[in-house]
Amino acid sequence: MEEGFLIQQRQMESDLSSDTSHKSSVDFLMNWFRKRSIFVLAYGTGCGAIEMPPTFTSRYDAERLGIRGAATPRQADVIIVSGYCSYKTLRRIIRTYEQMANPKYVLALGSCTVNGGMYWDSYNTIKKLEDYIPVDMYVSGCMPRPESILEGFLALQKEIAEGKASSWQRYEENYEFYRKNQEKVLGRNVAPAYDADWYLYDGGL
Amino acid sequence: MNTLIRNRFGTDEIEVKRDDLSKVTVVKYRVFELIHLLVEQYGYTTLNAITCADWIEEGHFAITYMLTTRARRHTFMVQTMIGREEAKIDSLTMLFPQAEIMERDLHEMYGIDFPGNGNLVELSLENWVHTPPLRREFDTLAFVNELHDFREGRDDNLDVKAEMKRLRALKKAAKEAAAKKEALKTEEKEEASQPSAAQKESGHGK
Repeated sequence: MEEGFLIQQRQMESDLSSDTSHKSSVDFLMNWFRKRSIFVLAYGTGCGAIEMPPTFTSRYDAERLGIRGAATPRQADVIIVSGYCSYKTLRRIIRTYEQMANPKYVLALGSCTVNGGMYWDSYNTIKKLEDYIPVDMYVSGCMPRPESILEGFLALQKEIAEGKASSWQRYEENYEFYRKNQEKVLGRNVAPAYDADWYLYDGGL
Repeated sequence: MNTLIRNRFGTDEIEVKRDDLSKVTVVKYRVFELIHLLVEQYGYTTLNAITCADWIEEGHFAITYMLTTRARRHTFMVQTMIGREEAKIDSLTMLFPQAEIMERDLHEMYGIDFPGNGNLVELSLENWVHTPPLRREFDTLAFVNELHDFREGRDDNLDVKAEMKRLRALKKAAKEAAAKKEALKTEEKEEASQPSAAQKESGHGK
């Protein structure tokens, strides 16, 4: 009970302190709407996905802050890259991220997305997520508890309210940089092919 | 059964590891004969796993087939050595269809070829073009350093080992100081209590 109360308290305080004086009232309203209805893609990439169900269900109840799940990338505002991210997953993340509609935000959980974490010398995971897709907010820890995830969301909400969270613009402006890094680890065919070979024909799973 | 296997396959000894686990090493071209014998005559009907160990110094892979009886009472490890160069051994899918995915795994991780297995496509890796990653000549660190650069630490980051040492020393010093204080206190108490006891005794005496 106490954590929830403290988080609400902090959110109210952050509302007061956010500096929005230089924005027009339309911008202020837009950001306020965006901040209060964050739809999170129901997608887990690593071990960190296990912390998301308690965050979104009754124990920590992220929905009271306007954060809730979305079924498909086209309906989602936020993608959480939770924990280690292998090359194979990175392909799907890039595809998913590019399917999402603007404005979109990326929340990276765990030390693996920050600097490789315990997989720093693994042959099959990426080390810094921000080289491949732009990241708005990192939540460090191995694994971060739901409280930390909520704090990360609150920090993200604050940035949205101030109009600072603009990673999708960074992705569009520096697309060559990101594409170069993606091709470095994934080869020429970055996005996975849309075919059903693995399902329809012998030779699949 | 053990003597039969020994006589027929010319192996030195059947190693009994536990009550429910034995291991036998045979040459490559007689593995399937032995497995067939175990399956047909002795009821080792379950293939648990196909494992591989890379003995780079000796220049071979040790492939182990683990077979278990129907009642799960006994497990037999049938091991064979194959050369690391052009590693190749026949597929077991004719006897055990479930060997397909295990062989697929070994093919991906060690680059072993299994003639007879028609489905040796990649299992968990994607578009892998380097040396198979579990072969010991594959240098993981060099691979990682080539593809990635690491984030530098914070400006105020500290050496973890030195810091732990320092904290431990601090803790120890604090503990010692506390112990000293306690000892002083008890001494004082004893000093304080002794005369009173003497007085009491003297009082008693009166």
